Amino acid sequence: MAASTTSTPFEVYRFDPSKDSAPRYDRFTLDLPAHTPVLTALLKIRTENDPSLTLRYSCRSAICGSCAMLINSKSRLACQTPVGPELARHGKIVIEPMRNQPVVRDLVVDQKPFWDRYRKIEPFLKTDARDPMPVGRENPMTPEQVDRFHETPRCIACAACYSACPAVEADPEFPGPMALAKLYRFVVDPRDKDSKNRLVRIQPEGLWLCLRCHLCTEACPKDVRPSERIRDLKEMAIAAAGVSEPGSRHAVGFKDNIAEAGILNEFKLVRQTYGPMDLLRQLPQGIKVARKKPEILKKPDPIEGLDEVRAIYKALDPDAEDR
Amino acid sequence: MHRHDVVVVGAGLAGQRAALAAIEAKSDVAIVSKLHPLRSHSGAAQGGINAAIGKEDSVDTHIYDTVKGSDYLGDQDAIEFFCREAGPTVIEMEHFGTIFSRAPDGSLARRPFGGAAFPRTIYAADRTGLALLQGLYERLGTESFTMYDEWDLTSVVVHEGRCQGIVAFDRRRGSFEEIAAKSVVLATGPCGRVYGRTTNSHTSTGDGIAAAYRAGAALKDMEFVQFHPTALLESSILITEGARGEGGILKNVNGERFMARYAPHVLDLASRDVVSRAIITEVREGRGFPGPYVHLELMHLGKEKIESRLQEICDFCRTFAGIDPVTQPIPVMPAQHYMMGGIGTNIRGETNIPGLLAAGEAACVSIHGANRLGGNSLLETLVFGKQAGIAAAEHAARAPAPSVDPADVAKDAATVDAMMRRSDGEEPQHLRIAMQAAMDSKVGVFRLPEELTAALADVRALQTRYERVRVVDSSKSYNLNLTDALETGHMLDLAEAIVVGAIARTESRGAHSRVDFPKRDDANWMRHTLATRGPSGPVLSYAPVTYTRWEPKERVY
Repeated sequence: MAASTTSTPFEVYRFDPSKDSAPRYDRFTLDLPAHTPVLTALLKIRTENDPSLTLRYSCRSAICGSCAMLINSKSRLACQTPVGPELARHGKIVIEPMRNQPVVRDLVVDQKPFWDRYRKIEPFLKTDARDPMPVGRENPMTPEQVDRFHETPRCIACAACYSACPAVEADPEFPGPMALAKLYRFVVDPRDKDSKNRLVRIQPEGLWLCLRCHLCTEACPKDVRPSERIRDLKEMAIAAAGVSEPGSRHAVGFKDNIAEAGILNEFKLVRQTYGPMDLLRQLPQGIKVARKKPEILKKPDPIEGLDEVRAIYKALDPDAEDR
Repeated sequence: MHRHDVVVVGAGLAGQRAALAAIEAKSDVAIVSKLHPLRSHSGAAQGGINAAIGKEDSVDTHIYDTVKGSDYLGDQDAIEFFCREAGPTVIEMEHFGTIFSRAPDGSLARRPFGGAAFPRTIYAADRTGLALLQGLYERLGTESFTMYDEWDLTSVVVHEGRCQGIVAFDRRRGSFEEIAAKSVVLATGPCGRVYGRTTNSHTSTGDGIAAAYRAGAALKDMEFVQFHPTALLESSILITEGARGEGGILKNVNGERFMARYAPHVLDLASRDVVSRAIITEVREGRGFPGPYVHLELMHLGKEKIESRLQEICDFCRTFAGIDPVTQPIPVMPAQHYMMGGIGTNIRGETNIPGLLAAGEAACVSIHGANRLGGNSLLETLVFGKQAGIAAAEHAARAPAPSVDPADVAKDAATVDAMMRRSDGEEPQHLRIAMQAAMDSKVGVFRLPEELTAALADVRALQTRYERVRVVDSSKSYNLNLTDALETGHMLDLAEAIVVGAIARTESRGAHSRVDFPKRDDANWMRHTLATRGPSGPVLSYAPVTYTRWEPKERVY
């Protein structure tokens, strides 16, 4: 059953900060069947070409989360990525360490910041002595309640989402997609007695810093869909804590703006988002923007086809009162 | 120099549970692991965890099934303790936050598993190990302890007949460090990577088992190696027994459900040793597919059941084999899966060295005897991890301060230094691959004396070559090539112990199937093998099996 092989060029990031002044890319060419996982190829390089190539790996079956790296610039698990499609699309396979984490050596990155942000969401079940767990038996939980976790229990903490996330890069306060998906897992857990407080606390602690780019969901090798869980958290946070944070005010203001005119009234949105003190802090930036783009101070005219926009709103939320 | 009451080596389920128990007993605890805890191989366990909590089921039936599954090599007192702890252990994990699959009435869902009289295997889809690992890690995260992760164990330190701590290599800093401890719990998992065709992770290299053996601990029943019947062809990725528990069927090239001939009562859900032998026999007698392999069919279960209960399996098949189990049969072959043997311990996890304990797959209590039942290994990690943690804390409370010697570190550092300075020598990965080839081809499901003897010669030749092993990577930072060398040395010692035990045991029992001695021989071999390290390899002795209520019978499924 020997599969046919193809000459497959690799360019592999190499950097040992204890010896090298700058990173370099080593080239290797291997004859591989198209279905060969990238990890298998890298281990072949270690065995046959260069035993000093350094990476994390363990289970080779996409369950331990060790071997996330950039494969042709995408954050992926090496064990789960076959070489064939990469080669067809890019003509070569470029291997680099994950983003948003400092390089320790070659493909090994320092994951301490990733774990630190994860720990900040208090990733453990919170119980309440006034509402104790049943003695000697399990907490009942229906299959429907288990379904509410969506795919979050599949998370293997590989950090591919963290690597792909621009909000992680931009803001050290942002917990990151994995941590927020984990938070969601506790919020929907009927055994957790702190769900509501968790939703209240997370709002000023970074929930609204998500840019909704969905790169995390694209990167996730286990279909956890962190961006969808973040969206769920935002909805639940508004339900639990009201529209009390700049983040939630911005989201609701955005929605209302569009419903009103079909186009964003940016000046109004800024006022809706920030309270008076925050607004003052935003003033210098506002002046800068207004100088470049004075039209934002003007109330925009309603767009043509506003009826259609409103029809969409109505379809999405039939119970909402008519404007 | 680092100093703690209790040092747990390994951060999978057994290690974390031991650490939690020792912390709860007020010990100052450190965990040393070559992997981050959530990357442990426990997370790869798929099918489930056994507990006789069903109304129709009973603890006695679980005990009997385990005794029978062990082919009467399991210690019955230990098995009784183990099965009684099962229910409370699973409930505790549920209370810690583990997300299990549920029955419509809200109770823990159970599925049938091989060798069990009733559906007894509690599960979380087909990722039960990951669910338990997450639940325990989250619970442990609320406690305070010291974590040394990405440290490689190199030695267990024994002075004055007592364990005094360990020596380990800090990958990040590139230095050897001594961690002094009153009690050391080894929970480093199996040495499945002595084989090439294995479901085990690349990191399952038996470091703790080897370090204990080198320090004078006795290894128990090392010749008993479980081959899982259904590993994905080529990659040997595990296809859970849960696939057959949900109704999956094995078929040969003629489309025949061949298990009817080997286990007429329970068919595809016979014990793993029985099913693995059946598959190999089918292939040898010309009824396998060219490859060779047999088919595991799930198609008749329907898309919804397959995709909800066997989600990871679907992903594995689609990603790693280009097969869709909803519409196509899965090509499978047996592969090494589990080490029944390991560091010999009692029910409390204690070894023959005071202060040295072991738990989980690295240990051998023995619960599994000659063959482990599916669903009993996750349970073992938690039940005996906890016991080892309790015993370690008790020992630490009364033991004197550990006495360490700078020579302990210097010895390991010098060994490695020599490897790194060797300009000409053996590549560790080449030795590892040669060892795996020998074990795959000569120490498999069926064992022939001439093949075992040849395997021993191969392993000993590789040990000689290993004396000249070299580490070409000269870096101080995260030197994985050095880890390769350390692990390969560990595995060569353990491969030798497996083969020597297999040559000596002239009977067939459970997973040890000698072609020249096809019958179980209770008169001569109802006993545990103990291997201690002598100047020229393992020295074998034997210990009786503990019997309570269950007389040995012929094993029929």
